[in-house]
Amino acid sequence: MQRFEFIGRFARNRGALIGAVLILVVALMALLAPLFFPVDPLRIVGQPELWPGEDADFPLGTDSLGRDMLSMIVHGARATLLIGLFASAVATVIGVGVGATAGYFGGWIDEIAMRAAELFQTIPNLIFVLTIVVILGSTLTNIVIAIGIVSWTPIARMTRAEFLSLRDREFVQACRAMGMGDLKIIVAEILPNALPPVIVLSSLVVAGAILFESAVSFLGLGDPNVASWGRLVGDGRQLIRSSWYICAIPGVAIMITVLCLNLIGDGLNDALNPKLRDR
Amino acid sequence: MAGELASPAAPPRITRGSSRRVAALRLLRRRLIQAVPLMLGVVVINFVLIQLAPGSFLELMTAENQVSDPATIALLRTTYGLDDPVWLQLVKYIWALMRFDFGFSYRQNIPVIDAISVHLPATLLLMISSITLALAVGVAAGVVASMKVRTFWDTLVSVAAMFFFAAPSFWLGIMLIVLFSVKLGWLPVGGMATIGGTSSGAGGVLDILHHLILPTLALGLFYAAIYARVMRSSMLEVAQLDFVRTARAKGLSRNQVTISHVLRNALLPVVTILGVQMGTVLAGSVVIESVFSWPGVGSLLFDSVSSRNYPVVLGIMVLGSLVVIAANIAVDLIYMWLDPRIEIR
Repeated sequence: MQRFEFIGRFARNRGALIGAVLILVVALMALLAPLFFPVDPLRIVGQPELWPGEDADFPLGTDSLGRDMLSMIVHGARATLLIGLFASAVATVIGVGVGATAGYFGGWIDEIAMRAAELFQTIPNLIFVLTIVVILGSTLTNIVIAIGIVSWTPIARMTRAEFLSLRDREFVQACRAMGMGDLKIIVAEILPNALPPVIVLSSLVVAGAILFESAVSFLGLGDPNVASWGRLVGDGRQLIRSSWYICAIPGVAIMITVLCLNLIGDGLNDALNPKLRDR
Repeated sequence: MAGELASPAAPPRITRGSSRRVAALRLLRRRLIQAVPLMLGVVVINFVLIQLAPGSFLELMTAENQVSDPATIALLRTTYGLDDPVWLQLVKYIWALMRFDFGFSYRQNIPVIDAISVHLPATLLLMISSITLALAVGVAAGVVASMKVRTFWDTLVSVAAMFFFAAPSFWLGIMLIVLFSVKLGWLPVGGMATIGGTSSGAGGVLDILHHLILPTLALGLFYAAIYARVMRSSMLEVAQLDFVRTARAKGLSRNQVTISHVLRNALLPVVTILGVQMGTVLAGSVVIESVFSWPGVGSLLFDSVSSRNYPVVLGIMVLGSLVVIAANIAVDLIYMWLDPRIEIR
């Protein structure tokens, strides 16, 4: 019952609903990419630099080598979304772990955890990602972990705040009185209650991670085997005088995806805090 | 550094200047002490990265630069104590950094610290102009939206903020180049000065400003979007507080109250965010510099990353963190100036 109410509140936010539908479309596109475009997207299929609409076979045109832009965008959705999701998952695991430990135990553990969070906020995030990637290698795994490492601090702070307000509630005291261990209390009792706002933040971290990855790929430091949207923008950069659409189209794809994720985050936020809705 | 940073806190309007200056200095001292473990942390992370890297520290310090001179290698071995246990290596590394010895950039054939300090002013200029633009546009848009809540203007601001918040800055930069440089021909495509143009005097300054416009827009509009959203909700929140009602009851007009009472208080969350985001602004300028061939630290970083010039990469990370810490202290002092209540605590 409560769940339906939540969905109802979310759906009443028109922006969030549009965002959710569009993200669903992008995700389906990513999932079904091989079905629609069975040919390798990096294969040359037509004349180079065909503008969108110039040839009916290539609705979004072709790039400098004659590769199908639409096919590359659809396949690129896979890489972009997966990197965003995994990086956000890494950030959430680190953030929840650190935040829960800090908030639950308090004292010097809390102090150390918060100083660490401050430290990771001090290092300029993208410079840190680039340093990690360049020293440890431009593999997909390294990029995902690096983005996760620079994105966990807001999640840790949020989790910590939730734990601080929950750790002395009666139900937690009851668990302690029953002799339940700390780990079990944290994972099974407090965490489920602390998660909703953390999930909202995670959806925003996905958006941030996509922007990070696109910047890394744009600079030419992405995984060479992955054609993400950021890399497509970077590839088209040399041709802005003759064919700027090669840059523009993948950028629009990034923007729409990030925009939708932000709208979903806003919608979830409103649905979780109905009191703030009319602000 | 202390003297420079203390100046923004010097209160221009309040007569009890000396006590506030004391408070500012106390805050400054506390922040500087807190900065020490932070810097230490950055250095340790750096060291861990070096240790994790494939290959030895020595290879890393001389990577791809064909340093084969045995004397140089021997010097590096003793400087960084490569035959020592790891903890002693860390101590030596920290000691070297404390003397601003970041290693040697064989590519440019100068010490790393020199390579970075040559490029730092351009980056600071870009950062400052972007933050100024973001604050001016963001605060103005947020104030307009909050004063005309639920009207066309409010919608316009939130739609624009949504778009600029989602657009990747490098892509926005390229699109700006396409529109203003390629199509309209109004502004330069990149660089910081016209090649062969006047580099000194007023003409030189104007030339740099001309080159600064597009990179500033590309980097600043993202932050303007954030500030507009925060400012709007902060204005609406402050406007409901008691002291605003009192000011209205005194007979002040709505505009007077907004400008002199609400605005100042509503700015506080914006300043807080500004401090938190200083690192991301610096990082963002790396990408923007690459788009616009802006000759700052970002371009240096990009070159160094491409040529695996590790000492420079690591040095930029340490010095970048130092810039962020200094900027944060400055923001704290501005915060104190905006909100005199901090003095009491």
